[in-house]
Amino acid sequence: MLEDAPLTWEEVARAYGRKIYNFAYRLTGNADHAADLTQEVLLRVKKGLAGYRPGSFEGWLWRITRNAFLDDTRRRKRRPTAPLPEEIDRVASYSSPAPDQVLAAVRLGDDIQAALLELPYDFREAVVLCDIVGLSYEEISAAIAAPIGTVRSRIHRGRKMLKERLQ
Amino acid sequence: MTHPSEPLSALLDGELTEPDRTRVVDHLSTCHACRDELNELHSARASVRSLPLLDLPSGLSPVEKGVAEVLSLRRRPPAWVAAAAAAILALFIGVATILAPPTSLEVRLDQLSDQYGARTSLEPAITPRTPLQVIDRVAGPIE
Repeated sequence: MLEDAPLTWEEVARAYGRKIYNFAYRLTGNADHAADLTQEVLLRVKKGLAGYRPGSFEGWLWRITRNAFLDDTRRRKRRPTAPLPEEIDRVASYSSPAPDQVLAAVRLGDDIQAALLELPYDFREAVVLCDIVGLSYEEISAAIAAPIGTVRSRIHRGRKMLKERLQ
Repeated sequence: MTHPSEPLSALLDGELTEPDRTRVVDHLSTCHACRDELNELHSARASVRSLPLLDLPSGLSPVEKGVAEVLSLRRRPPAWVAAAAAAILALFIGVATILAPPTSLEVRLDQLSDQYGARTSLEPAITPRTPLQVIDRVAGPIE
């Protein structure tokens, strides 16, 4: 993990671009949304890096990533991409993946991804930050602005829900 | 000790302090139910961790365009650099025109000016990376 080191934007993009994309993909199950989000995060990092003060770089970066993700979720909810009338009930959103996305993951044989997408957002996020991104509980706590006890509870309950769905 | 539940995930993640870890491990040595739960949690954790790490999309993806855009913002020199380069080029051409006899050299300089003048004024010093080079850098191994 990088701590207290002055980083250039290129170094951040090189070291974290792929992780950010995987975080977004595992939360959404959608490659296009994940790519859009990665681009947005890297642009926000570019703008914000000058103001970064030494501390928990992981917490700072993943807080930006999470905020970008939630902003995008809200934006997509407000302005869904012109669904046909019969599709209105299944407009995809990040926090509640559409059933067709879950089904698509199952058809591809990716039952683990499908099970992840069925978790409520808070639990999915905690599990992905821990087991996909590889953050410590303290770093997750900084990223999602929640106490460590909450992080521990969400990861634990998320794993139990996953186990039920995978059985 | 009551059955520890949440601490079992924290135990797997190495997130328990030493006194708590010792207590949980001691309990596990005598409690089948908690060992079973630990195995289930370990299995769920391993499942998520088994998901492949995906590469960034290649080609003209939004990611690549975004990275290229940000890099070009960073690497574009200040306007005065471009203006100075153009002025120097114009001065050089002017001096060469005055000093040099009307030979083929003048023709070549004029051609150079026409062909490269605008481009040089826009990109005087730095050649931006191509999008492919950019995405190769971004998609490097995760540390």
